[in-house]
Amino acid sequence: MGEAAPLTPAPAVRVQGFGKRYRRQAAVAGVDLEVRRGEIYGLIGPDGAGKSSLMKAVAGVLAFEEGSIEMFGIRIDSEAAAERVKGRLGFMPQGLGLNLYPELSVEENIDFFARLRGVPAAEIAARKAKLLAMTRLDRFTGRPMKHLSGGMKQKLGLVCTLIHEPELIVLDEPTTGVDPVSRRDFWAILAELLRENGITALISTAYMDEAERFHRLSLMHGGRVLASGEPDAIRARTPGSVVELEAEPQVEALDRIQASLAQAESVGPRLRVFVDDAEPEAAVGTVAGLLKGLSLRDLHATTPDLEDAFVALLRRQRLVEERAVAKPRAGDGDPPGDDVAILAKDLTRDFDGFRAVDRASFTVHQGDIFGLVGANGAGKTTLIKMLTGILPPSDGEGRVAGADMHFAAQAIKARIGYTSQAFSLYQDLSVLENLRLYARIYGVARHAAGERIEQVAELTGLTGRERQLAGRLPLGIRQRLALACALVHRPRILFLDEPTSGVDPIGRRRFWDILVHLARVEQVAILITTHYMSEAEHCDRLALMHAGRIVADDPPAALKQALREEAGELLEVATDRPLAAMALLEQAGFAGVALFGRHIHLFARDAHTATREIQTILAGRGIGLAGVTPRPPSLEDVFVYRITALEQGEQRL
Amino acid sequence: MNSRLTLWWSRLAAMTVKELLQLFRDGFLMFAIVFLFTADIYMTRNVRLELNHATVVVHDADHSAASRELIYRFRPPYFQLGGEIQDSREGQALLDQGQALAVLDIPPYFQRDLQSGRPTDVQVLVDTSNTVLGTLAASYSGQIIGRYGFEAALARMGASEASLDTVPMIQDQHRVWYNPNQNDAWFIPISELLTVITVMAIMLPAAAAVREKERGTIEQLLVSPLTPALILLPKVISMTLVILAGTAISLFLVLVPVFGVPIKGSLPLFFAVTTLYTVATSGLGLYIATLSRNLAQAAMLAIFILMPMVFLSGAWTPPEAMPAGLRETMYLSPLYYFIEMGYGILLKGAGLDVLWDSLLGLTLLGVGIFGIGVRRFRRQFG
Repeated sequence: MGEAAPLTPAPAVRVQGFGKRYRRQAAVAGVDLEVRRGEIYGLIGPDGAGKSSLMKAVAGVLAFEEGSIEMFGIRIDSEAAAERVKGRLGFMPQGLGLNLYPELSVEENIDFFARLRGVPAAEIAARKAKLLAMTRLDRFTGRPMKHLSGGMKQKLGLVCTLIHEPELIVLDEPTTGVDPVSRRDFWAILAELLRENGITALISTAYMDEAERFHRLSLMHGGRVLASGEPDAIRARTPGSVVELEAEPQVEALDRIQASLAQAESVGPRLRVFVDDAEPEAAVGTVAGLLKGLSLRDLHATTPDLEDAFVALLRRQRLVEERAVAKPRAGDGDPPGDDVAILAKDLTRDFDGFRAVDRASFTVHQGDIFGLVGANGAGKTTLIKMLTGILPPSDGEGRVAGADMHFAAQAIKARIGYTSQAFSLYQDLSVLENLRLYARIYGVARHAAGERIEQVAELTGLTGRERQLAGRLPLGIRQRLALACALVHRPRILFLDEPTSGVDPIGRRRFWDILVHLARVEQVAILITTHYMSEAEHCDRLALMHAGRIVADDPPAALKQALREEAGELLEVATDRPLAAMALLEQAGFAGVALFGRHIHLFARDAHTATREIQTILAGRGIGLAGVTPRPPSLEDVFVYRITALEQGEQRL
Repeated sequence: MNSRLTLWWSRLAAMTVKELLQLFRDGFLMFAIVFLFTADIYMTRNVRLELNHATVVVHDADHSAASRELIYRFRPPYFQLGGEIQDSREGQALLDQGQALAVLDIPPYFQRDLQSGRPTDVQVLVDTSNTVLGTLAASYSGQIIGRYGFEAALARMGASEASLDTVPMIQDQHRVWYNPNQNDAWFIPISELLTVITVMAIMLPAAAAVREKERGTIEQLLVSPLTPALILLPKVISMTLVILAGTAISLFLVLVPVFGVPIKGSLPLFFAVTTLYTVATSGLGLYIATLSRNLAQAAMLAIFILMPMVFLSGAWTPPEAMPAGLRETMYLSPLYYFIEMGYGILLKGAGLDVLWDSLLGLTLLGVGIFGIGVRRFRRQFG
């Protein structure tokens, strides 16, 4: 099959004026969108944006009140109509492997779905073999689904969704909670399916940086579509420029900028500012003007990404709550104390012959934001459990907040703050009751507690919500409450385990604002894990974990520099037939070839030679080349490159 | 040291208040507690474990004064006449359908034989699929017929009922103690209350602990400086308080005013025993919580433990009715001791001088159960 899907009169999906209510609460209202045949269409938005409702309705498993949905020209207005298109449709609901049977093996799961879908017995074997090979699950056919890793579960879910060869697949957040390597793997498989079977896909995601994977997409927020179209077109909806710079002192610089420009944040050592309606030159001038007298470095303009556009759109439509995060000034009386907050030396932990953490060594200083990234099962959780005093190490040494891990686990627990990925506060207690409970658990003196609670509530923007039940708060605010509870006893070290999963970009920015304040002004050491690679950019240092070991530990910029030195330049290739071009470039032996929507990314030692080579290869097949542009590598590129190299090394052994 | 103790108490208090707040905000659990301690026990008001207007149908092949006299004796409150039938097969059918509990079959020439002194039989068919009612019906009808035959024999010998005194025979003079009216209205609601206390003592701590697991809140507690004891003790304390309050409500608002249960013994002793029992049994709840991942699993496990525990307690089946092997296992059911002491204190006015052995039994068993529950909890969350 070719690409550039033939333009047929009936699109794969047409949604008009769609609305869905739960009781009296409108979950989605007034949604219009059209998915053309052969394209990957994205729905991007935070938790609660209405993506799942829309996808379930399209898949025919959710009744809705308003509007109409057409699939392949057939209007889905009754059970019978939904039945008629079901054979042409595959649906994978949200949640890792939730539609699969944990006790059944990989093969049994696939067979079950094949029979459920009435796939002819003669064809099952061939299809299964092909899909298993494509997903590289063929080595694990006998393994029960519950023993698969997150990424493998997701791939098995995809195989089960595809076994009856649907023309349209609807995938609800297939990449949530999956590590970057598995995520990239997943996208590669999708691209291959698209190339070979010409299927159409409607996919939702909470990761803004996955937008580039889609041909077209809709940005959703609060049950409405903010904007639809190609990623570039959506970016064009909010004209403006992004200015990046390093400034000293950073906190003062950010305060000055935020006083007049609404969309500014600090990302690690840099500041990132979105200037509305300004050409790059003018934007740089505006920012420089605001920061007169401060020492500035590396001041330059870049193009806004989709997340910038999303935030700007929300801001323009006045959907952002007023900036509530107040920042108490420094001088809370915290002594700077011992400069080293966490010291890990050859930390090792074994479970019944399995080494979960293998000689991990690193240092975190007061005031540092230290990021820990790695696939599920790489050992992050075990490492954090040792550092927080829950699990004693099998070997090695560690000091946290001046207390030895072997002998003073209880002292460690009393001196640190911890926020977990799942919201782990009492939903049936109010904001104030939660804060009070944790103040007493951590032994904050009664007379000091009231004042301290007020302080953290102000810092985290919870003032005015004290009486609300925690369970009724929106996700982003709940996570700030969790942070507030972790801060109530003035810990010198904060452990944050995927604190922003599913939170919308604005909520995430606000969360990071608080973290940066804590680190820079109050000198709190922060150790954080995340699956959002864009978020990892905020860290001062980033440790990459793989198979229990720390395989890299450097500032983000140094990690990217190392990647350039090892793998070469990252090039973005724009062509009119990306799928065919991708296959050719892979054959030609380019490293890291991956599809991003209509563009191809690859690594090349020398940009000039590579560009000429690409031109020759594509011209030979009559594929039009729009351009080859060098791109700065992202942390995701670093992560994927490093881990893939390690995995290949292991396989060779 | 002193400040550490103060801190320990402050943490215990904070956690206990938290547990109570959470319980009070759980509408369903609160409803279940109030319902079980009041309405559920109130519902046993008109339940009797005795014959109550059991239907008797009659096949009277004699139609004589004597047969009518006998039939007339099957009357309320124990029996009621369900009418006459034409042949015995019809009676069989009514028994099969459960429309009659007994069939009285009077043969032809009943009166003639009776008066002429020839032996005669009446047949009573009784449905004993419900053993208690069936046995009672058989025994009562046996008494009625025997008495009638006795009187008929006396009459034929020309003696009156008064002359019975001159016949040498043993007079049965039994006295019923503790519940002189043999009032089921006391036995049933007390059994029900003690069973409700048991259900609550297992379910409430189990629910409180499993909810922490289910919602991930346990994670946050484990990284805090709380020891496992400070996580589990508040659950036991708060749920025991709630159960004691429920018991008091049940006792003073239902058992005493509605059923007229006399409280013969010491109330402080009763509540002390209830506290001991609740704490001991909550060990089972904590044990269940360590085994289950969610509330549904915990509920299933609780039923699994509750059924044999109630069965072996003597609450509904007296120890005397158990076969030898099973009777010994009753000593493993904490409810057995609690029922001994509950009846003893409330109905017999018994004190520690009498109940010390039950109290000792419950204490030993309780230390064991609670110990196992706490051990597993600490192992899982320590």
